[in-house]
Amino acid sequence: MKLAFLAASAVTLSSVVTLAHGQDLIVNSYGGPYEQIIQEAIIKPFEEQYGVRVIYDAVGSSQQDYAKIKATNGRPGFDVVVMTASQSLEGCREGLLEPMSAETVPNLAHLNPAISAVAGPCGAVHEIQYLSLLYRTDKLAEAPTSWKDLFNEELADRIILPTFANIMAAYLTQVMSSVHGGDLNHNIDPGFEAMARLAAQAVGFEQASAILESYIADGRVWAMPFWDGRAQLLVDSGAPVDYILPEEGSVPLIATLNVPAGADNKELALQFVNFFLEKTSQESWVQSYKVGSARPDIEVTDEARARKITTQADLDALLLPDLDALSANLADWGMRWEREVVPAAR
Amino acid sequence: MSSLALHAEKGRPVRTSLIRQYIPLLPPGLILLLFFAIPMGMMMGLSFQPKGAEAASLANYGRFFTDDFTLIGLGRTVLMSGLVAICVTVMAYPVAYFLARSRSPWRAVVFALAIAPELAGVVLRTYGWLIILEDHGFINNALLWLGVISEPLPLAKNMFGVVVGLTHVILPFGVLSLLTSLQGVDPNLEKSAQILGASRLSVIRHIVLPLTVPGIVSSMLLAFTMSASAYATPAILGGAGFKVLATMVYEQVLFYVDWSFAAVMANVLLVMMLIVAFIGSRLEMRLHKKLHF
Repeated sequence: MKLAFLAASAVTLSSVVTLAHGQDLIVNSYGGPYEQIIQEAIIKPFEEQYGVRVIYDAVGSSQQDYAKIKATNGRPGFDVVVMTASQSLEGCREGLLEPMSAETVPNLAHLNPAISAVAGPCGAVHEIQYLSLLYRTDKLAEAPTSWKDLFNEELADRIILPTFANIMAAYLTQVMSSVHGGDLNHNIDPGFEAMARLAAQAVGFEQASAILESYIADGRVWAMPFWDGRAQLLVDSGAPVDYILPEEGSVPLIATLNVPAGADNKELALQFVNFFLEKTSQESWVQSYKVGSARPDIEVTDEARARKITTQADLDALLLPDLDALSANLADWGMRWEREVVPAAR
Repeated sequence: MSSLALHAEKGRPVRTSLIRQYIPLLPPGLILLLFFAIPMGMMMGLSFQPKGAEAASLANYGRFFTDDFTLIGLGRTVLMSGLVAICVTVMAYPVAYFLARSRSPWRAVVFALAIAPELAGVVLRTYGWLIILEDHGFINNALLWLGVISEPLPLAKNMFGVVVGLTHVILPFGVLSLLTSLQGVDPNLEKSAQILGASRLSVIRHIVLPLTVPGIVSSMLLAFTMSASAYATPAILGGAGFKVLATMVYEQVLFYVDWSFAAVMANVLLVMMLIVAFIGSRLEMRLHKKLHF
């Protein structure tokens, strides 16, 4: 009798837990300013519209989140995750991420097709940043205009570079290759030669973006490559810095929303992805997190229009790397970086 | 008859106690099997499945042992761990000796100070060292201000910084390991030697050191294995060019997403530590014999 009562209680309790869990959407993304902005701009409006609760999980970088998805075979314990186009492609190939289409996520139809294609069928592009050149306005005599300005003598020992474990390093090498007569994907040698020369100008390498930006914020370095979204946040913080999209162009960091293949709340997760891609959500995200969008039909302030990727022309001007080729070359490039670039800094 | 009865009484309890003896080992044994042996086996298997390849092969082991970059990483791991093992043991020994022999009222304070580093997290302590050692850190700024140096000394982002950081992190383990060994040495042996005219130095050289060889070896082994598998301190204090196996494994898992090659590196690390542990135990036996007789 006692056993039957216990069993009945356990069944009731587990169904209550399942029900409560079923109404919660677990979104995994970043902490810090990102968390505050996403809560206000996206999560609260979504909760109000759908009458659900979003549990925000800020633990882990996108690399750690992807490792968790891989280790759990697509059941990492969160329903939506913010990653990059490279991880979307790889996760899709391995069957770890849920494919999306205009049927399940109608707003995908409004995204720029070329950018969407880069991320593949499992990634919904919700944000685009470009690699900008961030500099100290109070230290440089003239504002830079080109990637080649990083090699100027006045910047000797006044540059900080990312380590290769920060994907910014590979993108920067590709840009430098393109600027110095090579290309993004195959003829990369000019990029490594340029990076070795640039490393000789550098005070060192750091992996985390937060540490990289501390170098320019306190004046130890006067210029560095940086993603434009965080660069804008630094400008807004009042630091004597500014950033440019160099005249030779730049590569994008394509951020994606992904749903793990074994997510508990797949349907609600796809609704969240669709909500994030709504015109109003994208406008709100571009203006609050200071990034670009793959939706060319959004309406934003003139300031955002001038500095962020918000139009078809902006999207067309981007240098788009072949992410499959990048993924295939990454290990070799990593070794070349350690042999050719890192020693040049000493 | 009585002897037969005794035999029967003796025989049965012996068998029962043998079974009973193993019962307490079942839960930890099962936990070890589930959460250690099986994952280790899976990692071994994974190392023979190169990324993107269908068939099992030794290709990743070939890649590891023919690439100078990974071999330098292995050599750097051994050197770093060896230096930390020596520094920890040399610094921990006097502290442990004081704690084992002193009756000073400061003994409790010294003991608390010796294990105090363990109260803060390793990342926190390592960042503390970075603030002290970096180019614009406390030491360099003080020396520059005093005019002793004109350029910052290279104290961080190199082997020196990592060895300092790891020695601080692991020192309490060395102290505790040596303390147990020193407490096992009868203080009357030292007193007897002194009564017979031996100097303090001679007592330590001929009595205390030989009797604590097992403690010295276990302190060195502990410090070596903890250093070889440490990630946070080499990653933070080592800088971009300072790659050891633990940081290389981390990069392979998270950045390159090549778990197979990461498994090869982890296995090499494990085998290297087993070899060092084996050499250490042999050395302990040899030294023990040599110093005793």
